Amino acid sequence: MSELKFILNDKPVCVEVEDNARLLDVIRDTLGLTGTKEGCGVGECGACTVIVDGDAVDSCLMPAMRVMGKSVTTVEGLAKDGHLDRLQQAVLDHHALQCGFCTPGLLMSAKALLDKNPHPTREEIKVALSGNLCRCTGYEQMIEAVLDAAEREK
Amino acid sequence: MQRFTYLSPKTLPEALELMRSHAGRIRPFAGGTDLMVELRKDDAKLSEMKYALDLSDIPELTEISGRDGLVSIGAMATHDMVAHSPVIRLAAAMLSEASLSVGAQQIRNVATIGGNVCNAAVAADTLSPLAALDASVTLQSVSEARVLPLADFVTGAGKTAIRPDELLTKITFVPLDGWRTAFVKLGRRKALAISRMNAAVALRFEGNTISGARVSPGCVFISPRRVSSAEKLLLGGEPSKELFEQCGKVVSDEMVKITGVRWSTEYKYPALSAVVSRALCIAAGIPEEAT
Repeated sequence: MSELKFILNDKPVCVEVEDNARLLDVIRDTLGLTGTKEGCGVGECGACTVIVDGDAVDSCLMPAMRVMGKSVTTVEGLAKDGHLDRLQQAVLDHHALQCGFCTPGLLMSAKALLDKNPHPTREEIKVALSGNLCRCTGYEQMIEAVLDAAEREK
Repeated sequence: MQRFTYLSPKTLPEALELMRSHAGRIRPFAGGTDLMVELRKDDAKLSEMKYALDLSDIPELTEISGRDGLVSIGAMATHDMVAHSPVIRLAAAMLSEASLSVGAQQIRNVATIGGNVCNAAVAADTLSPLAALDASVTLQSVSEARVLPLADFVTGAGKTAIRPDELLTKITFVPLDGWRTAFVKLGRRKALAISRMNAAVALRFEGNTISGARVSPGCVFISPRRVSSAEKLLLGGEPSKELFEQCGKVVSDEMVKITGVRWSTEYKYPALSAVVSRALCIAAGIPEEAT
C-alpha cells in the first residue's frame, strides 16, 4: 500500500491505495464517485474518461499512483454551486443521451477539448470524441451539443 | 490484476540504477496503455515482473529537439506530442501523421513513442515511418549508452535487442529537409484501429524528377525496413499514378518473396500495393483516387 495525494475536483485528497490499483477503481470504490464508468476496461470505449492535468485519459489504463500530485477532474466536478456546466446543459438541451452510460466519458472528452480549444470545428470535435463509444444515441446530437456549448461561451 | 511495487524515479540516473538492481524483475512503465491491459490478463507472461518503473516524472525523456542536423525524440514523448511537435511536423510529417493515427485522444495523451517501439508490435504505427527515416535508438544502462539502428533493434514480432538493465531513452534521425512525405494506414475503422497495413514514404524532387525515395511498408515484415527495389524504381522517374502503382506492386512482390504465399495473400497483395501507391500520390501531390 502507498499513500496517494492528489487534487480531485478541486479538493485535495489523500488515500491509501494498492500500488497496482487503477485510477478508475480508486475514484469509484475508494472515493465513492461512481459517475465515472467502466465499460471495456481496455481503453477502447472511453466510458472511464477523466481529465488529468488538462488531458482526457482512460482511467482504466492509468495506475492510480501516476496521478500523485496531479489534478483530476471527474464528471462530478463539472457542475459548480448546484449549476450544471454549460456543456452538461447543452447535452440535455440536444437530447444527446439515452441510457447515459457513456455520457460521463463523453462529457469529459468534450470538456478537455473545450478547455484547450474553446471554439472547435465539427471535425475537431469528432476527433476529440472518437475515443468514446455510444451504442444508443449515436454521435450527431453530442457533436451538436458541443458546438452549442462552445457557442454559449461567446 | 498482477501485484507489483510502483517506482517513480525523478531522474534518469536513478531510473537506470533501479533497472540495474532489479534487472529481470522490473518493467519500464511508459504510457501503460498496453501494459495495463497485459497485467490484468491471467496468463503468466508478466509473472516475473515485481516492479513497475514509471518514467513519466523524468522531464528529459519527453524532450523533442532538432539541433545540429539531428532530430531527437525522448522515449516518453506521447503520441500527442509527436503529432503536434513543430519540429517533427517539419522534419518528418509522416511520423506526425502516424502518431496522430494511434488509438484515440485518450490513448495519444499517454501512450509514448518509446513504448510503441519497445513493444515492437508488427502493427506498430510509428515503426514504418521510423524505418523510412533510418532512425536509431539510444539504449542506456548504468554502465554505457549504445546506439542501434531501428532495423537491428527490432529483431522479431514483439522482440527487441534491449538488455534487461537498459532503457530506451531516445530515438534519433537525420531530418528529411525538403522531402515530401506521407503516411497511409489501412484499418477497420478510423479511430482506435490497429493498422492492418500501412506505408510511410518520402520523396525528394529535383524539378519534376524524383531524386530521393524512401518506401517503408508497415505490418508486413517482422522487423521494419525499407524496400530498396521499390525505391530504385522511383529514382530518376517523374511522378505519375502509373509509376506509383508499379512501385506498389514491387513492394507487394517483396512481401511475398519474404513471407511466402499465405491464405491472406490474395487480399494483402492488392491492398498493400494500393496503400503504397496512395501514399506516394499524396506525397507527390497528385490525385490518388482508388484503382
